[in-house]
Amino acid sequence: MRAQSPKRDNPSLGAISRPMLFTWFMLTGLILLFAPQNLTNDIQFAFARVFRWPLTIGKNISLYARTRQPAPGANFDEKSQYENYIANLQEQLRQKHREVIELSGLRDRFHALENAGLIMADVIRSSINETRSELTINRGQSDGLVKGLYVLGDNSIIGKISEVSPRTARLKLFTDPASRIAVRIGNLNVDRLMQGLGKDEAKIKYIPTKYKIRVGDKVMARKNPGLLDTSMIIGVVARCERDERNPSMWDISVKPVCDIERLNSITVIIMNPQD
Amino acid sequence: MRWFRFAIFVAFVAVLQASLLLDIIALPPLGSKPNLLLIMLVFFAINSNTTNAIITSFTIGFAADISIGSTMGSQTISFGLFGTALAYLHRVIAIRKVHYQAFSIFITAFTTGTLAHFLALLRGRPNVSNVYYAILGTAIYSAVVGPIFFLLASWLMRIKTHRFGRR
Repeated sequence: MRAQSPKRDNPSLGAISRPMLFTWFMLTGLILLFAPQNLTNDIQFAFARVFRWPLTIGKNISLYARTRQPAPGANFDEKSQYENYIANLQEQLRQKHREVIELSGLRDRFHALENAGLIMADVIRSSINETRSELTINRGQSDGLVKGLYVLGDNSIIGKISEVSPRTARLKLFTDPASRIAVRIGNLNVDRLMQGLGKDEAKIKYIPTKYKIRVGDKVMARKNPGLLDTSMIIGVVARCERDERNPSMWDISVKPVCDIERLNSITVIIMNPQD
Repeated sequence: MRWFRFAIFVAFVAVLQASLLLDIIALPPLGSKPNLLLIMLVFFAINSNTTNAIITSFTIGFAADISIGSTMGSQTISFGLFGTALAYLHRVIAIRKVHYQAFSIFITAFTTGTLAHFLALLRGRPNVSNVYYAILGTAIYSAVVGPIFFLLASWLMRIKTHRFGRR
């Protein structure tokens, strides 16, 4: 039996046929798809700006609900902030010690973030799922933000600025599948790229099994002159197994050291502020 | 079609989808959430005439693009394409029963999610290993929640959903 159309077609669209309407919309979609990303990002940023108030309320309600019913295993509190702070200090101390040994006698002081500009920003919106891990913040180009700047959350590196508009910016978390950040595990003097896996996890590959790595070892974001002048904690080793394809290499999973989804504010590091 | 009411409704659902409110009802292990915009797409595709269904499909797709924060255009194209296809299909096969509606939502969610993913790949988004599980989780959850959302949507839009009852 053939179903009837619920209503007669819209007479106001008289001259435009359905195929033509479809074609025009499809063309619009294709233009949006292939338009430069900085232009299309502006539309998404505008949405976040316009609806900032309801989005923030929604986020707070969600956070409140989750705080009342904490997920098993999620035990991030103020203590973890101090632990991260201590980890950063320890890392600075260790780096300092190494410099002293290597440069023997050179009185090079360790200035971590002393001259850096630190910009606090509120999180407007977070998109954290399997396919993307991003935050939108209420600071942008007008505050001196540019692409590539490192971002701190609870004293640990959580990602980098990926897109900037005049008044907002998007931060790609290190757990985002598109994220690649150079890291070092614990005291090993081996640098590797850490790749995001989505949701709340990242992966480090190509570390030979000759290195001893344990669950809980701290993972430090490697220093990147001009953007991050000192190594800082980014996560901890959550799992360390032999790679199935290459048993002579470790397959390492890394977890953040703070609950990123609960972050309300973050700090952007500008190593060389202009003014 | 009440276009002003539709615009308000789309904006409201887009904000709801973009906020973390739906995380409260997210299901483990993948944190699957229902895609309310997609449910809306199916609702208007089967409860409007074909021309209106085309317009609403692309509009909801655009809303999904800006609210979900995906690669711009990917959801517009996939929602528009499958919303239109569903509207044409509805002219041949009436989708009236609740389980048909749930099944339509499931299929539409899976196909739109997959197409949007491939379009995003075309624009250089990285391939994610568990993306199909995420799409499947969203599709199942949306199919379960969809018929309930339909009641709310039909009340808000003053659309009678059972006008072709058996005689």
